Amino acid sequence: MSRLASRVPGASKRLAPDEDELCNVCKSSRYLNPDMRFLVNPECYHKMCESCVDRIFTHGPAPCPLAGCNKTLRKARFRTQTFEDLKVEREVDIRRRIAKAMNKQESDFERLIDYNNYLEIVEEVTWNLILNIDVEETERKLRLWEEAQKAELNPNATFRRVTDQPEASQLSDSSHVVLKKGGTQRRALATSSGNTSTPSGTEESGKRDTGFVFQGLKKRKLPPPEKAFDPFDGWSIEPQYYALQENHNYQWLTTYDSDPAYFAGGWQTRDYYSRMMEEAFGGMCIFLEDEKVAPLGSGDDDVGTQNAANAAIGMKDVVMDDVF
Amino acid sequence: MKLTEDDIYRNSSQYKHWSFTPTQLAELRLKTNIQACERVKANVARQRAQRAAIALDGASASDSERGNTPGLENGNGNVSSNGGTPLRLDKEVDCLTVAEEMRLVEKFCETTLDLAKFIGLPSDVTATAVQFLRRFYLYNSPMTYDALIVSRTITFIACKTDNANPNLDDYIAKLGKVTRDQILAPEYLIVQALRFNFEVKHPFRGLKGAHLELGEIVRGAYTPLPFDTRTSNDLETEIASLPPSTSGAITGTKDIHVRLDNAYGFASNILKRTAQLTDAYFLFTPSQIMLASLLIADEPLTVFYLSTKLPASSPLHSKTLNTLRACATVFTTHRSYTASSVSPDEKAARDQLAKAEISALMKKLKKCRDPDKMDLVKLNQAQKRDAADQGGLEENKAKRRKVARENAEKEADDFWGPELGKK
Repeated sequence: MSRLASRVPGASKRLAPDEDELCNVCKSSRYLNPDMRFLVNPECYHKMCESCVDRIFTHGPAPCPLAGCNKTLRKARFRTQTFEDLKVEREVDIRRRIAKAMNKQESDFERLIDYNNYLEIVEEVTWNLILNIDVEETERKLRLWEEAQKAELNPNATFRRVTDQPEASQLSDSSHVVLKKGGTQRRALATSSGNTSTPSGTEESGKRDTGFVFQGLKKRKLPPPEKAFDPFDGWSIEPQYYALQENHNYQWLTTYDSDPAYFAGGWQTRDYYSRMMEEAFGGMCIFLEDEKVAPLGSGDDDVGTQNAANAAIGMKDVVMDDVF
Repeated sequence: MKLTEDDIYRNSSQYKHWSFTPTQLAELRLKTNIQACERVKANVARQRAQRAAIALDGASASDSERGNTPGLENGNGNVSSNGGTPLRLDKEVDCLTVAEEMRLVEKFCETTLDLAKFIGLPSDVTATAVQFLRRFYLYNSPMTYDALIVSRTITFIACKTDNANPNLDDYIAKLGKVTRDQILAPEYLIVQALRFNFEVKHPFRGLKGAHLELGEIVRGAYTPLPFDTRTSNDLETEIASLPPSTSGAITGTKDIHVRLDNAYGFASNILKRTAQLTDAYFLFTPSQIMLASLLIADEPLTVFYLSTKLPASSPLHSKTLNTLRACATVFTTHRSYTASSVSPDEKAARDQLAKAEISALMKKLKKCRDPDKMDLVKLNQAQKRDAADQGGLEENKAKRRKVARENAEKEADDFWGPELGKK
């Protein structure tokens, strides 16, 4: 009975809430299949049930099955909708994308007015995409801007020239997708061929076209390159009274070089030699008579001395911390 | 930024805390002596007053009470020496002077050397132990802490710091008549007095290095320092044509290798004994001590060696040489060095004299010991737990500790189950 009723044109309005319960592709309803889930694809925001998505898109990208929609959809991008209103869903998606690409802050601009102008342009771009005004041009600029930002963040990354690929809006970027069905290759050839002629990405006075030009935008400063790690923080030991020799042919030293008990652990006779020489001359020209003239009890070094002396000799020993 | 070997030494605790000028050293010792004397006098006076009060109560009570007086109950001869002397009550305590203290410390150092030799410790561990002892008695007086007890513990600490790592039980077995507690009780106290500076820089390894380099010069394989215009071959011929040494290690043959080995052996002996018994470690750096001992052993050789290290024209050269000579004088004037050059009769007479001197000093020391620090084991226990009766802790604090510990044990039992039965 309800099937009959739904065919009545006047009843469709009345049954509008039921639209949520009916798949636009296979016409099966939630009434028969309570577990049914509806998915949308941000390419065209047409709603269809999960089983339809599985059926149509499992074997690769395919055009949207709804009549009049020629977008190519991929299964991976289907998702459950967040907002009840698909318009809101679309706007949120667009805003998210713009916010990701155009994420300058006030501190990035020289003056407040520049920042405000920037925000104005961002909002304009957003509404252009939402309201489908001048989409081609806006998309082109946005993509150029995105790539310019990426190039600025990572100058070493190979930069793919925008002109190398045919122009097409990202929302309908289907030009080099091989569709599984020959009859469904309805490509917007006219638009793509029309746009390749536009000189986008041209170099103007040696500068790359970044899509948008903002007044007063500060140039990004690259962080200084990291220095090589130095465990001694710039200090080095440079002996002045001896020069280390490569090796010494002394029996009692060289036997250790061939003894696995020593060399397995990384012990080297050279280290030992270096230590010997350092101890032989460490302090040779330190004259304590001259250097230690400061009277006892001055400087914080001697506070420790005093405390230790008092502790050992004085009224009380230093009491160990109360363990309990 | 560059660090020379001198800068490295300047960063050591030995340079920072344990190097002095002679005047500073004397001042420090005087200060330590005065402090210790005051303390001994005060403590003895307090003890006498206590005993007098007990004596007034009656002779029968005094026997039982004496056991509770702190410092009197270690029972190894001190009771008899302190207990039966009512005549001393109003006599002023005759404390040791600085010179006497130094003489005693030197004697203790010798004892420590003998002890280490007896146990069979390597020379660097022995030297560390002796230096620890010297450092300890720089800020403490022998009147305060008994050197015999301290030296046993200090030797044990030196073993641990120099990686000799003996088992405590083995160590005790070697010493005999010592308990674990007697070794361990003063450990913290000593380490604290050493200010946790465990590193002692010794000249031994440096001497080996110098010996090695001299050998290189003899073989003609030595690379001269930048300032030196002589080539390695020049140095080789020069070292071979040095005049023989007239004192120290006198070598009969012209063989330069034998000469080097003799000088090394002679210097090494000085470092192992004489250097340990003098204040050299406080007054000079290890490098200077090493070169001074080499200077005593073979003067022409050492002067030549120094000339390869410092240009003879620089003021540093003469200054270093003067310092080395000063250090050498400290060694050569010491008893342990001169003892080898005198006749056996004279040596025996000297030993006799030293023995008499030491025994007199020990007798004097016995009378001026600090009664509070007699028994380090008890003092250590007093610091630990349940020490209310020692007066070391207040009653309530001890009680609180006990309760806390019991609770902790109970909790441990709850968690891990009851204690395992004893086998």
